Amino acid sequence: MRNLLHDMNPAIKFVMVTVVMLGLAFFFNPWTPLLFFFGVICLQLFFSRMDWKIWSLFMLPFTLGAFGYLWTTIVFGAETEGTVIWSLFGFEVTDEQWAVALSLAFRVLAFSSLSLLFALTTDPVRFVMSLMQQLKLSPKIAYGVLVGYQFLPVLKDEFFQIQQAHRLRGAATEKYWWQRLLGIRRVIIPMLAGAVRKAERSAFAMEARGFTGEARTEFYRPVRAGRLDMVMSLVIVALFVGSCVFGVYLSG
Amino acid sequence: MLNSWKLKEIVLMSLFGVVFGIVYLLFIHLGNIWAGLIGPIAYEWMFGIWFIVSIICMHIIRKPGAAVMPETMAAVIEVMLGNAVGPRLILSGIVQGLGAEAAFAVTRYRHFNLFVFMLAGIGAAVFSFIYGFFVSGYAALDPSFVALMFTLRVLSGAIIAGIGGKYIGDALLATGSLRGYAIARSKTGDASA
Repeated sequence: MRNLLHDMNPAIKFVMVTVVMLGLAFFFNPWTPLLFFFGVICLQLFFSRMDWKIWSLFMLPFTLGAFGYLWTTIVFGAETEGTVIWSLFGFEVTDEQWAVALSLAFRVLAFSSLSLLFALTTDPVRFVMSLMQQLKLSPKIAYGVLVGYQFLPVLKDEFFQIQQAHRLRGAATEKYWWQRLLGIRRVIIPMLAGAVRKAERSAFAMEARGFTGEARTEFYRPVRAGRLDMVMSLVIVALFVGSCVFGVYLSG
Repeated sequence: MLNSWKLKEIVLMSLFGVVFGIVYLLFIHLGNIWAGLIGPIAYEWMFGIWFIVSIICMHIIRKPGAAVMPETMAAVIEVMLGNAVGPRLILSGIVQGLGAEAAFAVTRYRHFNLFVFMLAGIGAAVFSFIYGFFVSGYAALDPSFVALMFTLRVLSGAIIAGIGGKYIGDALLATGSLRGYAIARSKTGDASA
């Protein structure tokens, strides 16, 4: 049971998550995103081996963002009808405004939880493989992306090397975080120049080994789509429809 | 369309996607902390950062698709790295890329000067705003506030993505590593290739 979300076909999971997110954007009542948020947490509890420590760490900044949405919508909201329920610092908050503000804030939470459902249960390489095999992404692009992904640790090392080289020569005397942020431009150009060279070398290497980038039907490591994906998709859709229906009912 | 592309150009876009994917994620997290304090408008003034890879790659490669593809690839890599904005980043990457691509398509991929790059930044800003209007529910906000957000985003697209993108592209050309790409074949760097 607890590996179902991990075993689901990544491309199908991706499509489901995206479609449901777009669907959620049509609802401006607070209950639908809230119900959906808790529904997604239940899905993760039952169908995945979620590391909840990492989950909370990822959710934290988005909880902050949700709070920003809440008060922005209250202060700058378009809706001014309805009865005033409370006022603060001269702002009169009506019940309708409050409902919309809560809705947008909960939407941020619902989106983030759904994203984490995808991010923390999906193997990145399998995801790209499955994009190529199920969604017919061109192999040229798919393998191109994979090459870039494999270079990640190399680029990380290079970043520190360039930084240390700068420090060694006394080029970087950054004390504050904003100075370091501006200093990125000094690091990024050597990084990109290195990236250009790496791209050229690996492209030649791939071509030398017979990579043509033509579309194919046979794969060394096939990623399959089957009945499990259908069932899991139905579960996600059911959760979405359920929270829509109950959300509208509860707020109506 | 892909047949006219060399593999090295695609891998280049992917590697740029990795570098900028990390930069983008960094700014998403910075933006989030900031957004907790001052709301979604926090993102607007720095939105141009998220369009920059389109403009740099188009500046270098100068082929139809060189704006939308790197942006999409950067988004895919952001998703591969794992984050809580998640799969819809790919959608917004495609939308932003198409916005930048539109500006180059309108000028028929003939002119690559600062004006067109700023136009591309504005295009990406407009497209992404329409998308964000829907997904983030800006309809619930006061129209004048939304107008302020829109203006900030367009300015950011033109300045950070347009001017910044050209600056980085030119600086890269000066390192000499771009021999063999369209940018090096046009002497001044902004004449048609």
